[in-house]
Amino acid sequence: MMPNTYAATSDNISAKAWLTQLSKALQSLNFSTSFVVVKNNQAEPYHWYHGVDKQGTELEVLSVLNGPRRDTLRKGNVVSYLEPDTQPYSVNSTNISGPIPSIFRQNIDVLAKNYDFVSVGKSRILGRPAQIIRIVPKDDHRYGYWVWLDQQSGLLLKIAMITRKGHLLEQIQFTSLDVTPHLSKSLENLAKAKLPKVIDIPKASAANDFAWQVNWLPLGFERIKADHHSIKLTKQRVEFMQFSDSLVNVSVYVSPSTVKTRPIEYVKDGAIIVLNQVVNGHEISVVGKIPANTAKAIADSVSFRNITN
Amino acid sequence: MSESKFETVSLLVDNYQRNDDNFDEAIFDLIEDEQLSDTWERYQLLGDVIRGEAETSLPSDFSTKIAQAIAEEPTILAPVHKISSKVLLKAKVVNLFKPVGQFAIAASAAALMIFGVQHNTNDNNASGVMSNPVIQTTPFGGIADPVSLNFQQPDIKAQKRAYIEQQRRFQALLSDHQRQIKLVNEAPNKSLKQHKVEDTPK
Repeated sequence: MMPNTYAATSDNISAKAWLTQLSKALQSLNFSTSFVVVKNNQAEPYHWYHGVDKQGTELEVLSVLNGPRRDTLRKGNVVSYLEPDTQPYSVNSTNISGPIPSIFRQNIDVLAKNYDFVSVGKSRILGRPAQIIRIVPKDDHRYGYWVWLDQQSGLLLKIAMITRKGHLLEQIQFTSLDVTPHLSKSLENLAKAKLPKVIDIPKASAANDFAWQVNWLPLGFERIKADHHSIKLTKQRVEFMQFSDSLVNVSVYVSPSTVKTRPIEYVKDGAIIVLNQVVNGHEISVVGKIPANTAKAIADSVSFRNITN
Repeated sequence: MSESKFETVSLLVDNYQRNDDNFDEAIFDLIEDEQLSDTWERYQLLGDVIRGEAETSLPSDFSTKIAQAIAEEPTILAPVHKISSKVLLKAKVVNLFKPVGQFAIAASAAALMIFGVQHNTNDNNASGVMSNPVIQTTPFGGIADPVSLNFQQPDIKAQKRAYIEQQRRFQALLSDHQRQIKLVNEAPNKSLKQHKVEDTPK
């Protein structure tokens, strides 16, 4: 047993070292890369530039290549979203919200509580030697990630989201990767560009205002948001909480319903689930990249304070 | 294949009875000949149309109804993933809101391609399907299915509306979830923490 234990330990160290290398590479290299998000027999292509200017400011452009233009720009700690149906806006953040989990460019230590990192060998992706790392959830309540990293630069070559049983949910295949000593032209232009105004994010209203609470979540999920807002597309007023385990975000919505009860219904789009039910006139919805059973358990755990007090 | 065999097919279809010995033989030949079988089916339909007997299955506003059925029936079966829970229904999300204008036509075509609903009852029996408030999808394989859908009772229309409504609800939640992930205001010390990664070579 001794050699096995030793092998497993050294694998874990190397897996973590690879993920740390990835984080460094994503923050420090000048790269221009294309990737395709594949799910439900659909492929959505993106282009992604990243670089660091002479002042040490990170610059990033992430663009959807098919259909209406959707671009995300980042200059240091300002991220701007340019989307077809919204006024362009910026937020204070050092992470672009897109198909690539932002934890990959951060300190992955925070994931170690709920996920194991396993180095499972080498393969060839995009014509390059690749190191395969698995991010394996420690429980049944979430999905795993497999990442293929370029052995030379440490950058991403492929990402797959996988169920515990090894069923593929969605994947991101990189289709080109150029690491350059200098900033690309697009990023030089971005450096000169004026970004849209940073919008005010209303301070999270205390969740104690709510007459409900979520009583169960998988270990490691913490509340990162709680507010009232209107859902843009339906104008429906909702009470809202969002939770994160640093890798995935889960939203819980509660609102009064016109019907008394409606059984659980859900849709899936790749790894993401949207689940909805009405219990005693309360509509409860759960959205996130989690298994259906987890979403159902979260929805079922929502309890209401007695309205009479 | 001889021209005369095709003629025989045509004659048979048109209820033309020949009182000669060749008749039974002709049918027998046709059954054995696969290529002719195909022809048989096509002639059969053609014969119906020519005689006006197709009236019941092909109404005069046939093409309109097909177009309508296609417009209203955005369902195509997607691969079924069974999960072991009491969750009853599962469908692919389709974007019912955007894009607008010039993209609208392309979008609806795309919707036809990816849309789907499955009844994910534990035992896929008929009663489970019946109790479900959402329409049962029909594979979009043949012409017959979407047309016959159109001839079902008006409550199918109501169910379709409920289904569209449900898709709207799902789509709205999905986009709000994604929007909420973008709407962050990171505390400055948190972003410092991220850059610390670079300074820790160990």
